[in-house]
Amino acid sequence: MAEAIQLRSVTKAYQRAGESLRVLDELDLTMAGGTFYALMGPSGSGKTTLLNLVGGLDHADSGAVLVGDVDLTRLDGGELAAWRAGNVGFVFQGFNLLPVLTARENVELPLQLTPLSRRQRRAQAERALQLVGLGDRMDHKPRELSGGQEQRVAIARAIATDPQVILADEPTGDLDRTTADAVLQLLQRLNRELGKTILMVTHDPQAAGYADKIIHLDKGKLGRIETNPGRG
Amino acid sequence: MPWKLLWRNVVGHPVRSLLTVGAVAVAVFLVCVLNAVTSGLTRTLDAAAANRLLVQSAVSLFVDLPLSYQQKMASVPGIEAICKWQWFGGRYEQDKGGFFAQFGIDPETFLPSYPEMKITKGSYDDFKKLRTACVVGDELADKYGWQVGQTVPISGTIFQRTDGRPWEFTVAAIYRSSSPAVDNQTLWFQFDYLRESLEQGGATGPLGVGVYMLRMAPGTDPVAVQQAVDAMFENGPQRVQTTTEAEFNRQFISMLGDVPTLLQMIGGAVLFAIFFAVLNTMLMAGRERTRDLGVMKALGFTDRATGMLLVAESLLLCGLGAAAGIGVGLLAEAPFAVATASFLPGFGFDEGTLLLGAAIAVGVGLVAGVLPGRRAARLTAIAALREVG
Repeated sequence: MAEAIQLRSVTKAYQRAGESLRVLDELDLTMAGGTFYALMGPSGSGKTTLLNLVGGLDHADSGAVLVGDVDLTRLDGGELAAWRAGNVGFVFQGFNLLPVLTARENVELPLQLTPLSRRQRRAQAERALQLVGLGDRMDHKPRELSGGQEQRVAIARAIATDPQVILADEPTGDLDRTTADAVLQLLQRLNRELGKTILMVTHDPQAAGYADKIIHLDKGKLGRIETNPGRG
Repeated sequence: MPWKLLWRNVVGHPVRSLLTVGAVAVAVFLVCVLNAVTSGLTRTLDAAAANRLLVQSAVSLFVDLPLSYQQKMASVPGIEAICKWQWFGGRYEQDKGGFFAQFGIDPETFLPSYPEMKITKGSYDDFKKLRTACVVGDELADKYGWQVGQTVPISGTIFQRTDGRPWEFTVAAIYRSSSPAVDNQTLWFQFDYLRESLEQGGATGPLGVGVYMLRMAPGTDPVAVQQAVDAMFENGPQRVQTTTEAEFNRQFISMLGDVPTLLQMIGGAVLFAIFFAVLNTMLMAGRERTRDLGVMKALGFTDRATGMLLVAESLLLCGLGAAAGIGVGLLAEAPFAVATASFLPGFGFDEGTLLLGAAIAVGVGLVAGVLPGRRAARLTAIAALREVG
């Protein structure tokens, strides 16, 4: 069973031009494990900040962020890095593949932080690439792939270490509709077939339609939570 | 450490990497050469014999001493043998642009005073018997293809024959010196050949002796001999300065200026320049890879690991440069040694020189990598990912 995510009275503020800007304001939110969530809201509503807190990339000013039993707010930088390596996968809008590495090497990169042997890492990277339908593009570098293929490599990288949580920040923002749908279907498959908890930030209602639940944020506060018809 | 990523980052920018490696290679090569010159000077001084003293004019090395001094000095207790040295300064007819030293010496006392010289071809006795004979170093003979019995035409610059023809020396023997105190690219001929030519009007030039070499008997106090010889000519006609062979060599080298300090300054300047070149490369690499560093941190790589990636890249570039520089240096060592043998017989890359070159490259790599490495380590994943979009 994938791990649940809980935010308890989380506050996060940034300093902008000498002023404190509260991005998340005493936010309480519980997300069930194994569920596909879409996170929506206007710009500045705190979507990406929430994603970064859940991914252990940033620290809350107050409150607690729990992923499973782990309170991320109690971990220091090194502990957070180690936690990220084994528990969370990231998919970014701009794909963010390392241009000097092939698709297989990009997927292998997070596996270098595991105790797997070289051969095991290679096999696992190939499995992940085959899962996203890129078994025939393993030795291609990012510049030799289309945008959709790049994002699928990024998804393969996100699942390579078999994390329970996948965080996607506008994963289809740079893709055309057809390609975006293919990527979203892939995320949906990962959720349904492998039981991954997925939290996806998006502005696109069509993309949000692939999620089980849609969380609306507004000015750092929780709005409504919708359940997609036919899911949840 | 993601070694594959490290290597791909280096080869992923071939021009920049090659230029950086090339710059480090040139710097390491130069530092090795400069250090080899300094070491060579030191080795030459260290190899000087303790039982040989040299007497020159107190005014200058370029002022000749009278011939009559030899007999007077022979009376000083402890002096076992005396040998004249007179700089000839000629040019080989077949290679007037080339340079090698020629000295007029006393055959009877010369070779016995320099046990480091061994005759490898021909006969020293033949040299002593024939007035126009000469002994040449094996490297000089190899350079010009000279054989025993061959006549070598040398045109004089200080001493010129009145018939306008070049001097002719017959190669009677070829020697090899085992010590940097004596190089293997010198031509030695009989001083009496020069003296007789000058006295009989066959040649023009100053009749005198540049330096007298005094070989001391075992157990002789060199300071006592120095003082006795200097005191002997205190009232002229030419005051003299008697020094040990090491001191004489040191003074000779110092005529060029403070060579070791000059070389060290040049080496320091080269290092300074190369440090900034490598630092610039690494700062550019660090800036370019801000996004990659952010991705790595998001994947779980620690601040230390991402910082070390840049330090390791800097070390790799400098290590490759050091290997190339040292490799080129080793290939160039023999030709360099031949080219500098006449004035720097001790030139050579010893273990210390090579280690110095490698250590400097590692040092530059480390220091140039620390700044971008520290920036990379301090960068947060969010800031790194945000910076590019």
